[in-house]
Amino acid sequence: MNGAAGPQQVSENVMSDFAGMEDLLQDFLIEAGDLLSGVDNKLVDLERSPDDRGLLNEIFRGFHTIKGGAGFLNATELVTLCHLTENLFDNLRNGELAVTPEIMDVILAATATVREMFASLEQGMQPTAADPDLIARLRQAIAGELVAGSAHETTAPAQPAAAGQAVAGGAPDWELLHGVVTGVARVVQPVREAGPVAAVVAAAPTRPPEEVIKAAVGRRASDKPGSQVSTGRRDGEKQRDNSIRVDTTRLDQVLNLSGEIGLTKNRLNALRSDILSGRNDTETLHSLDIAVSQLDLLVSDLQNAVMKTRMQPIGRLFQKYPRIARDLARSMGKDVELVLAGEETEIDKTMIEDLADPIIHLIRNAVDHGVEDAAGRIAAGKPEKSIVRLEARQEGDHIVILVADDGRGMNAERLRAKAVEKGLITDEESNSMDERQSFNLVFLPGFSMAAQVSDVSGRGVGMDVVRTNIQKLNGNIEIQSQLGKGTTFVISLPLTLAILPVLLVRLGDQPFAVPLSMVREILPIEAKEVQEVGGRATMVVRGEVLPIMPLAGLLGWPLERAPYYGVLMQTAEMSFILGIDSFAGREDAVIKSLDDFRPKGVAGVTTLSNGQIVLILDMKELLGSAGDQRWLSRLTMMAKQVAAA
Amino acid sequence: MSDPKMKFLVVDDFSTMRRIVRNLLKELGFTNVDEAEDGAVALQKLNSAPFDFVVTDWNMPNMDGLTLLQTIRQTPHLRHLPVLMVTAEAKKENIIAAAQAGASGYIVKPFTAATMSEKLEKIFEKMGKKATA
Repeated sequence: MNGAAGPQQVSENVMSDFAGMEDLLQDFLIEAGDLLSGVDNKLVDLERSPDDRGLLNEIFRGFHTIKGGAGFLNATELVTLCHLTENLFDNLRNGELAVTPEIMDVILAATATVREMFASLEQGMQPTAADPDLIARLRQAIAGELVAGSAHETTAPAQPAAAGQAVAGGAPDWELLHGVVTGVARVVQPVREAGPVAAVVAAAPTRPPEEVIKAAVGRRASDKPGSQVSTGRRDGEKQRDNSIRVDTTRLDQVLNLSGEIGLTKNRLNALRSDILSGRNDTETLHSLDIAVSQLDLLVSDLQNAVMKTRMQPIGRLFQKYPRIARDLARSMGKDVELVLAGEETEIDKTMIEDLADPIIHLIRNAVDHGVEDAAGRIAAGKPEKSIVRLEARQEGDHIVILVADDGRGMNAERLRAKAVEKGLITDEESNSMDERQSFNLVFLPGFSMAAQVSDVSGRGVGMDVVRTNIQKLNGNIEIQSQLGKGTTFVISLPLTLAILPVLLVRLGDQPFAVPLSMVREILPIEAKEVQEVGGRATMVVRGEVLPIMPLAGLLGWPLERAPYYGVLMQTAEMSFILGIDSFAGREDAVIKSLDDFRPKGVAGVTTLSNGQIVLILDMKELLGSAGDQRWLSRLTMMAKQVAAA
Repeated sequence: MSDPKMKFLVVDDFSTMRRIVRNLLKELGFTNVDEAEDGAVALQKLNSAPFDFVVTDWNMPNMDGLTLLQTIRQTPHLRHLPVLMVTAEAKKENIIAAAQAGASGYIVKPFTAATMSEKLEKIFEKMGKKATA
C-alpha cells in the first residue's frame, strides 16, 4: 500500500543481491534487528532462569519469525540457522531437553552468527553459510547429544545423519499429509541442507572482548577504524540506515497541522488581495494580525511535531547492551548484571546511532575497570555480583544518560600520578587539580592504559573518542566517582540536533552565532582590567584568570580595535573570554549544514528573522585552527594603547 | 469466484510479513486488506466488521493462529470464513492440527504470488462447490 514511501537505497556503493527488494529488506532488518536484540536479552534472562517456559517460547518465536521473513529474502543460510535454533528451542520448551551451559553456549554462538548475517544483509549481500562446526553442534544439541566438552570437537562422528534428518524435516509421510490437507501434492521445501561452506569466524563462547564488541555492534565494513575521529558527524550519515519507524498518530498530527497551515495560507492570500486592492481598515488589519499569529503558532507546532517523528525510544539502543555486558563480563570471568532504566525516554534518531559506540565503551570500561573481580568484591564486603546501571531520563530540555557501576571507584591521586608519568600534565598542574579535574584526565588522548589500547585497537576508540563523539552531538560527559562505592559517567545531550539555541554576537556589522550551551556569561571588557599573564591578555573573573581571545583573531581577521565585550565561554578543555564588538541577542537557530563547502570553524548557517544569513561558529574548530597566536600580543598591545589613552 | 472486492484480514505479529502478504494479495488483485498483529486483535476486528477471508500466521503472542482458527470455527457468524494458515512450520503434527481445526488451506513460507494464487483458487473452488451444493 505504501511501498513507494520507503527508502530506496540500501548502500550506495555496494552491488545489491536484493534488487527490487530493498524496501522489504530494510523493513526486515529493522524489525528483525529489534527482534534479535529482544532475543539476546531474553537469553541473558534465560541463563538466570533456565526453566522458564514463557521465555523459551518467546525465544522460539523470535527465531521462527526471523526464519519466516528471511525465507522471502531467499536468505537460505539464515533460514537454515534459524530453523535449527528454533528446533532446539522447540525441544527445550517441550521439556525434551534442558538448558545446560553447553547448550547455552551453542545458542549464544548461533545468535551471534544470526547478527553477523544481518550485517551482511545490511550491505546488500546474501550471508554465507554458518560455521559447519556451529551447525554440527546445533544438531548435536537438538539430538540431545551435546555433552560438556563436545563443543571443542570439530565433527560429530556418532549420529550426525540422524540428527540432520530430523531437523531438515525429511520424513517422507508428511508430504503426503500436506497434499491431503491442502489438495496440492507439491511441497515447498523450507530448509536447504547447508552445503560445504567457506569458513566463517567461529563464534566460540569465550571470545576476546574486542570481538564481542565487534560482533555486537554489527560494524559495516565501510566504517573505517578511527574515521569517526576526524570526520564530522554528518559525513558518516550517508552510509546509515535511512529509514525510521514512526507512530502513525504522530504522522497524523503532522498531516493535520500542515492542513491547518494550508487553511491559514488561504486566509492570508484572501487578506493580501483585500489589502492590495486598497482595504486597510482596522478590521482587515486585525484579521491579518490574527491570521499571522495563528500561522506562527501552527508553524511552531509543526516544527515540534516533525521533530517528534525523529524521536525514538532509547530502549531500542539499550536492549543491545545486556547481552554485550554479559559476554564481556564472562570473557573476563566476572559476574555482572546490566540493569536498564528509562528505556522509554525519547531521543533524536541520529543521536541514538551516534551514541551506540560511546555507550558500549563506557559499559566495557565499567565491566573491565570499574567493577572488581569476585575475590575483590568479597574482600570489600560487597555482593559477588556487580550491578552496572544504564539509565536514561529527560531533564528539562536535556537528555541525561548514566552508566553507573558499583565497583571500586576512581582514585584521583593515582590518576594524577599516572598522567604525570605519561607526561600529559606537569607536576605543577597535577598539584592544582581538584577531584573533578583529576577524573577528567581519563578523557585525555593517550591516557588509556595499555590494555585498553589493545582491546579497542583497530577501531581507534578510547575514552577521548567517547568524549569527542559526545561533544559532536553538542553534549558533554562528566564523571562522578566515590572510592570503594563506584563510578558514574553522566552524559547530557540536547533533545534534538535540528534546533540549536545560539547567542548572536557582532564583529563590526557582521553577526555570528555561537552555541548558547557554551556561554556562561557576558561581560564588558574594561581596558584597565586586562592584564598580561605569560604573554597572554587575560582578565580575572571571580578569581579565575581567563585568557581573552578576540573573535577577529580566531577568524584570522585584522584586529582593528580592542573588543568591547567578552563572552565567557566554556568548552570541555578550557574556559576563555571571546572578545566581540557587540551582541544582538539569542535565537533558536535552525541549522542548515554546509556539507560540501564547509569552511573551517563554521558549523553551519542559519537565517535570522530579518532574512539575514548568519554563520554558526564551531568554537572547538576555531580554537584548534588558531595555532598562529600573533593576535595575543597584538591584543595586549591594543589593550595597552587603550589603557594609555 | 474470486471477487476483487473481497475483504482480507492478514494476521501476523511481524509487520514485515504482513506487508509481504499484503503485497502478494495486491499482485493477485485483492486490494481490500486489513491487518491484525495477533489472534486477539484479529478476533476483535472480525467481530466488529465483516471480512471475507482470513490469512493468518501460526506463531503469535497473545493468541496464536491455531487458537484463532478454532475460535473462528466455534463462532456461529464467523464459522463459514475461509482461513488460510501461513506459517514457516512444515511439521506433520502442525498440518494435522490445522486440518483438524478446520483450516481451509495451509501454505508454507516462503511462497510466491503464484503459490498463493493456487491456494486461493483451490479454496474458492471448494467454497463454490459448497455454495452450489
